[in-house]
Amino acid sequence: MTYIILLPIFFPILSGIFIRLTSQNRLKPLLIISVILNFCFTIFVVSYFPEAAVELFEFNNLLFFYFSPDLLGKIFAVLVSTLWIFTTFYALDYMSHEKKTNSFFMFFLATQGITIGIAFSGNLITLYLFYELLTLITFPLVIHEGSDEALRTGKKYLLYSFFGATFVLFGIILLYSQNNSLDFMSGGMIGILSNEQLPYYLMVYLFLFLGFGVKSALVPFHSWLPSAMIAPTPVSALLHAVAVVKSGIFSLMRITYYVIGWETIEQTGGNKYTLVLVLITIIMGSFLAISQKNLKKRLAYSTVSQLGYIMIGLVVFTPDTLTGGLLHMLFHAFIKITLFFCIGAVMHYEHKTELAEIEGIGKRMPITMTCFSISSLCLIGIPPTNGFVSKWFLAIGGIKSGNYIIPIILLLSALFTAAYLLPIFTTAFFKGPPIRETVVKEPNNLMLIPIIILTGINVFIGFFPNLVINLIEKLSLILY
Amino acid sequence: MTSNLPLINIMFLMITAFAFPLIKKIKYIYFFSYIIHILLVISTLATLMFVVNHGAYALNIGYPDTFMGIQLYISHVEALLGVVFSIIFLMVVIFASSTIDKEISENRIGLFYLLVNILYTSLIGVIYSNDLFNAYVFIEVSTLSACGLIIIKDKGETILAAIKYLIMSTVGSGLVLMSIAYLYSITGHLNILLSHNVIVATYQDYPNSVLIILSLFTLGLGVKSALFPLHGWLPDAHSSAPTPSSAILSSLVIKVYMVLLIKIIFRLFGLNIVKDIVIMDIILLLGSAGMIFGSVMAIKQKELKRMVAYSSVAQIGYVAFGIGLGSIAGLTIAVYHIIGHALTKSSIFLISGLMISQNKSKYIEDLKGIGHEMPITLILFTLASFSMVGIPIFPGFISKWYLSLACLELNRISLILIILASSLLNLLYYFPIVINGFFGKENLKGRIRKSKKVNPYSLFPIVTLIILMLLTGLFSGRIIDFIALSFA
Repeated sequence: MTYIILLPIFFPILSGIFIRLTSQNRLKPLLIISVILNFCFTIFVVSYFPEAAVELFEFNNLLFFYFSPDLLGKIFAVLVSTLWIFTTFYALDYMSHEKKTNSFFMFFLATQGITIGIAFSGNLITLYLFYELLTLITFPLVIHEGSDEALRTGKKYLLYSFFGATFVLFGIILLYSQNNSLDFMSGGMIGILSNEQLPYYLMVYLFLFLGFGVKSALVPFHSWLPSAMIAPTPVSALLHAVAVVKSGIFSLMRITYYVIGWETIEQTGGNKYTLVLVLITIIMGSFLAISQKNLKKRLAYSTVSQLGYIMIGLVVFTPDTLTGGLLHMLFHAFIKITLFFCIGAVMHYEHKTELAEIEGIGKRMPITMTCFSISSLCLIGIPPTNGFVSKWFLAIGGIKSGNYIIPIILLLSALFTAAYLLPIFTTAFFKGPPIRETVVKEPNNLMLIPIIILTGINVFIGFFPNLVINLIEKLSLILY
Repeated sequence: MTSNLPLINIMFLMITAFAFPLIKKIKYIYFFSYIIHILLVISTLATLMFVVNHGAYALNIGYPDTFMGIQLYISHVEALLGVVFSIIFLMVVIFASSTIDKEISENRIGLFYLLVNILYTSLIGVIYSNDLFNAYVFIEVSTLSACGLIIIKDKGETILAAIKYLIMSTVGSGLVLMSIAYLYSITGHLNILLSHNVIVATYQDYPNSVLIILSLFTLGLGVKSALFPLHGWLPDAHSSAPTPSSAILSSLVIKVYMVLLIKIIFRLFGLNIVKDIVIMDIILLLGSAGMIFGSVMAIKQKELKRMVAYSSVAQIGYVAFGIGLGSIAGLTIAVYHIIGHALTKSSIFLISGLMISQNKSKYIEDLKGIGHEMPITLILFTLASFSMVGIPIFPGFISKWYLSLACLELNRISLILIILASSLLNLLYYFPIVINGFFGKENLKGRIRKSKKVNPYSLFPIVTLIILMLLTGLFSGRIIDFIALSFA
């Protein structure tokens, strides 16, 4: 029976292949049915299998594919399958002009399965397998446009990802040779180190962190993320706000809290080095975002910066920072996907990609741009929005741990965030021709409704954050 | 009876080889070759089962005592390699029956199969024989028949390549012969086991001789297996030969000499004796250099088959790396890599041959968009390249993993970086073919979907090899444990 927990992983992959083989005109219903079914499967697994574990293949001690969804994995899986539904509706409209979308949607669905595979992995080698597969399966999505530039970008993406994976592999080998096990265990599997072991485990930690840091766009490995914006907007939204970068973050959480263990890391002192990188990521990401003229690139750099916020929860070890980091992982996913959807709608219907071109768009697409503005405010973190909640926890945790630089950086970066997001909607609303001369032309409902619902969720969580906080604090308590 | 099968295999192949030129109808030639190779698969499997049940054994031929007679020694590694070789030969022969008539003239097909059989004889001869002079004879036979398989295409470039190969190989054989003579002058034996006993008793009196013998063996066998920087002949030879020949040459022939080197290091000298000799570090160094430079040179190639050939130089580097570590774990994984890579590289060569012949161009540049025309073929290529790049569960990953663990066992962490760098370099030349083959607007322009039909007889062997490759990865634990039995 417990094999049911594999359903959310393999069902999307199989239905993707099925969709590839069926005709174009049955695409839409099949796609909708399969994402909704998979959402139901995920919810089913999450609620009815609290302690399930499946050993899929055990060939030997190393090649041992083991799935055991714990609380962290379940949260991530639910996040992924929820956002996938919205994105599917959005993508159906966005991709409607394109001819051969079957193979696009095959990879699109398979990516969901593989991301949930990452969420449900019960040991590091399974995680690593799905992590590599994620790179391979998202590659066709990134280069969907097929132009030479897209191919070049795709190669950059592959190279960065495999470079990171190589670092990870090195770390895993070092780890495995000492412990002969790669299972996840809350609190880590290493325990207290002797003085001679410190440099070795410092090396293990740094290699694993930097390796997974590539997918989580840690500076200096971030430059694939803005380049990958060449992908169609649903893909950018999903992959670069949820699936790919959050898989990186999720893997970092696994190694920090479940493999090496935060106490061990603190003992090696490795988090001091990574904290510096994380803080640089926050500042540099938002700083670079300000100078971008292209809207999608601006959001991409914003992602780099926001991922830095989340990573604070992984390098400063207090329950508050972890809660803040986890909350920000969820909130940022919802906010960033909304922002991408809005910009995508502008690109799709108005064919405008640069900041200077969108003057007056707010009058033509009032609902879309209002949603954009609300979500921007959430990202900046003005109370009472959800962004405020997560940043609050991060700042409190930073102060408690004695890192007074963290609240300062957070405030500074919030200013930068305002500086790169506000111009977008001031340009959209307050510049350009007066309101009388413009015709209101909102996007198609398939596109608009996801945007509205997502914005609604952002606002709702901002007012009632305790719903999520309780859950996340439970997780933080388990880990500390 | 079963215990005699290794000898019967060798004799059977040798004798049936000469029947091929006598057969007039090409169809019968194909049929006959199928039968021979299927029988060989069965008989090597039987040998494997025998070894599994009874353990390693020596087979004396002629004289009952090993002093005068020829001796074959079949342990787990030999039996397993025999099965792998026979399967790859069978697949290549099936592939050849559908394509060889396009590559060589019709009156030479009989000769081609004759040479394949002779080559096969010599390869399993080298693997099985426990007698250095006997092994040397088989090495010479393998060189000549491999040359024949290259030259059979009868074009300017192949003749040039074969002559290059012949000269380099002869130098290699000369070095091997010299070292055998040297060894004989010290130990008075040619049998590996008997020589070993003498060496163990007296090696402290002859420290330089051990060094010289091992250096000569390494150099000689290194030339033949294209160990960097002695690989100069390989790219020309392997890229210009007919496709089935290149598959055999690249996946099996160059590996056999490495197997012999393993036997010399492990059985003739023993790890205790060689571990302080500088030559092991040199093997390790050459292996590492090969892993890096083989890949770097492969990246620069414009022709598909040349690229794949340079990739073989890199892969031989992995094997040499495993040997050079000088530990049991290193040798075990070297043998595993020989098996995994034999399956992968033979399928890659067969696929390359198919793509080249269907696309009528040998350049990588012209393969853009081929995935649209030959989707299944390119998917198979993709799977094989996953192994090369080292995606988990594929044999390439397993080799990388256990090689790294073997390095860690010896506390040589920095060596792992070489392994990882090399697999990243593999990415740089295998993936562009896959990417440009499947994706890109410009690349797909004018390509018609599934327009290039592939003969099922050509596809079947490739699919089988790829499936076996996957199984080798999945069941790597058992295979490695099995190999390790030989090094116990």
